[in-house]
Amino acid sequence: MFFKPSNPRKNRLLQACAAMALSVAFMGAALPARAQEILTSRAPNREELLLEGARKEGQVVLYSAAIVNQALRPMAEAFMKKYPFIKLTFWRGDTEEIIAKLSAEVRAKNVVVDLIEGTGVGELAVESGLTVPFYTPAVEALPEMYRDPRGNWASTRVSYFGIAYNPKLVPPDQAPKTYDDLLDPRWKGKLAWRIGTSSGTPLFLTSIRLALGEDKARAYFEKLAQQKVINFGAGSARTLVDRVIAGEIPIALNIFAHHPLISKAKGAPVNTQLLEPTPSTAGTMIVPKGVRHPYAAMLLADFILSPEGQGIFSKAEYFPVRPDVPPLDTLAPVVPKIAGVKELFVSSEQLNRYNESSQKIFEELFR
Amino acid sequence: MTTQVEYSEPAASSWKDWRLAESLRFSPLVLVLLAIMLLAVAPPVMFLVNASLHETLPDGSPGVFTLRYYQQLVSGRFFVPSLINTLIYACGSSVIAIFIGTVQALIVERTNTPGRKLAFLAAIISLGVPHVLYVVAWLLLLGRSGPVNELIESLLHQPQALDVYSLWGMMLIEGIGFVPLTFLLMSSVLRSTDASFEEAAMMSGASPLRAFGSITLRMALPALCGLTLLIFVKAVESFEVPALVGLAGNVNVITTMIYQSSRRAGAPNYGEAGAYSMCLVVILLALMFWQNNLSRHAKRYQTITGKGFRPRVIDLGGWRHVTCAVLVGLFLMVTVVPVSMLAFTSFQPFYGGVSMEAFGRFSLENYHALFGPGSFRDSILNTLILGTMTATLVVPFTALCAWLVVRRSPGAWLIDQIASVPLVFPAIILSVAFLDVFVNMSLPLYGTLLSIILASSVRYLPYGMRYAFAGVIQIHSDLEEAASVSGANKAKLFLRVLAPLLATTLVSSWLLIFLVSVQAVSLPLLLVGPGSEIMSVTLFELWQNGQVTELAAMGMLWIALMTCVSVLFHLLTRRHQLNV
Repeated sequence: MFFKPSNPRKNRLLQACAAMALSVAFMGAALPARAQEILTSRAPNREELLLEGARKEGQVVLYSAAIVNQALRPMAEAFMKKYPFIKLTFWRGDTEEIIAKLSAEVRAKNVVVDLIEGTGVGELAVESGLTVPFYTPAVEALPEMYRDPRGNWASTRVSYFGIAYNPKLVPPDQAPKTYDDLLDPRWKGKLAWRIGTSSGTPLFLTSIRLALGEDKARAYFEKLAQQKVINFGAGSARTLVDRVIAGEIPIALNIFAHHPLISKAKGAPVNTQLLEPTPSTAGTMIVPKGVRHPYAAMLLADFILSPEGQGIFSKAEYFPVRPDVPPLDTLAPVVPKIAGVKELFVSSEQLNRYNESSQKIFEELFR
Repeated sequence: MTTQVEYSEPAASSWKDWRLAESLRFSPLVLVLLAIMLLAVAPPVMFLVNASLHETLPDGSPGVFTLRYYQQLVSGRFFVPSLINTLIYACGSSVIAIFIGTVQALIVERTNTPGRKLAFLAAIISLGVPHVLYVVAWLLLLGRSGPVNELIESLLHQPQALDVYSLWGMMLIEGIGFVPLTFLLMSSVLRSTDASFEEAAMMSGASPLRAFGSITLRMALPALCGLTLLIFVKAVESFEVPALVGLAGNVNVITTMIYQSSRRAGAPNYGEAGAYSMCLVVILLALMFWQNNLSRHAKRYQTITGKGFRPRVIDLGGWRHVTCAVLVGLFLMVTVVPVSMLAFTSFQPFYGGVSMEAFGRFSLENYHALFGPGSFRDSILNTLILGTMTATLVVPFTALCAWLVVRRSPGAWLIDQIASVPLVFPAIILSVAFLDVFVNMSLPLYGTLLSIILASSVRYLPYGMRYAFAGVIQIHSDLEEAASVSGANKAKLFLRVLAPLLATTLVSSWLLIFLVSVQAVSLPLLLVGPGSEIMSVTLFELWQNGQVTELAAMGMLWIALMTCVSVLFHLLTRRHQLNV
């Protein structure tokens, strides 16, 4: 055999496939209906049912865009400590990769994943018909804007966006403080943004359209296009910040506001500046259509939104959605509420609705 | 046997009919190989053809038939400029790579330059550098605030005189990046070329330079063309340099267009990307056709004959100090610069360029983090299995194919064409296609290591083909004819006559495929599942998450490991007297 025959995960996959084949053969379409029942269950004995079902399932697969060493691995370890009878395995990918994998699995009716967590995956997957609704009582603890009334997704972590600049190239007192400051001719050819992902240029353009209205936004974009913004194409927003630290790019637009702070704490020449209003988005979790381990998936969803799960995200330098779990002190300066800056929350639904038209604006003016 | 046909050429009037009939005949062995190859290559290709011809529904499944993606392509304002850029970029980088690689191979294989054997080690070390880091190292060196620009500024008082984010920058970085590959391939060609012709030329009074130019290079011409084609196509489908260097300077090539269009709408839509890929296929097939014509005259270039041959070194006298300096210069450029950049970064708490104050921030933190808990150790075994299996599947298979192609076995020309197809699909899009193939399979391959091995084998099939092709083309068929006359069947011919003569080529081909397949990122990215993590993807995630310094530390460890593998390999083959 080419693969390691002793690989337990591999065996489990084979078992899972065999089990699925059997269950399809014997139960026909009965399983999906039952799965849906437990996913949206509000029964008083929900917890008990979940535990009983998850014990039989024995495993759960998570796809997430969160960082492996600091977030996913501790999350998996804590979850398996709490539920030793469930084996959690995870795969990390970018939003685009997660969507590609998810849609291929759903199309082929070969769904390996049980729960998906990431930024930008929520509404997109819902509209593409790749998900099923679910309910976890943990959402009751979240502010209204982080919840979906239809129950298609639930928020898991918040991101704030700002600009990063290299203080060696841009003296802090001269760094752009407002969106209009970005139009200063001296920044021509010195600004960069990240293309090729919905949390890059589309988010930046969408947030300005939401903040200013279409006409004013259009006029602003036309002026911004004169600045010849550098299109950064390979790598995440984080790697763009690294280019700023290396001195290759003086100013990066629309980066995760906490990334420069993390590097700055290590002594790197970089700083965050929040612009008014500061765009924010929420990472979400969704359940795939055709989920194979609905009981364990719901236990995991509960866990991620529990104070313990949110605490793990917080420690991994993410911003928790639960108001009762604070972000790290070192990262607090970029939380708009704390910094005294107006926040513009761009919901998963808005981001998705505006995505196509913002992409068009980008292609017309900035490419 | 086809060789007999060559001696009894038919009359000119029936020439065309004869050629047509000839090209449509298939031997049973060729048919079997063709079937295997089609099984491997066709499904992902079909997926892309389908995607380019059908509307994509919101869930990613194909809708109604459409030609709209092709129309958009041709009418789009970026298509023609990006096509022209692609051609310039690919030509430029292959010229740079072939020139430097050939010069290096000539020096190493044909002269008595001191320390020349170390060039192999250097090439193998540079092949072990993760490509993303390699590109970033060059950007740091030539970038806006890099030492080169600073030097120019202090000398000429011209700030940022050098703009690396341009076509020439792309060609330079990509071209130099291919040097280790061209060097390894060229030296395997030169090693199996009989040196007696050069000696004859030099005895007749030609200078060493002239002998190289008009004898050695001429004889290596078909192999050289094959290599140029390989590098050209590799550059056409390359992604890291166009993305990191090109996009930042608004230089679009076809792969970056594919990248942008496949990520554009959020929901998966591979129509436009598929159409772009089809354009690449057309370019490739045209080139292949041309190369196929060239190999028609293969006999002229065969130098390993029944007479026996000895590749020989030439005494350069005092000139060998010059060639030694050239080798050292290349070593600095191709290996030392990227690796020392990596080493430097691995001792830094963050990634901040090279400066005196950066030396003060020296820390071992990243190496500590490496040996903490992590998927790193789980993935290392998977990676070694991946490389070993891919190389072991590809090498014998391609050797057999290349032999049939070069000896013009009936129908074998088709093998060559099909085997080259995987090369032209950019890995980012091939990955999507393989994802679709495996997830729909009734066999539970999806997400397993085996699926990555199979995909890599298809992906690196063309590499094996080029390598084996270059080797076989120089082996004169008279040895096989002699064996055949003595009663050997085809299997015996291949195993007892050809394989030993080819051994050197095959062994270096194995090592090369091992090295490139363990490094690939874009291809396995979507195929990896929980439990089948591999090193290159782990490295890529570190890069994505901005843990560049940790990545550099892991990269250093990786290079050390790859160097060990290569040295071990070297020792093993030497023990069995295969001089690799």
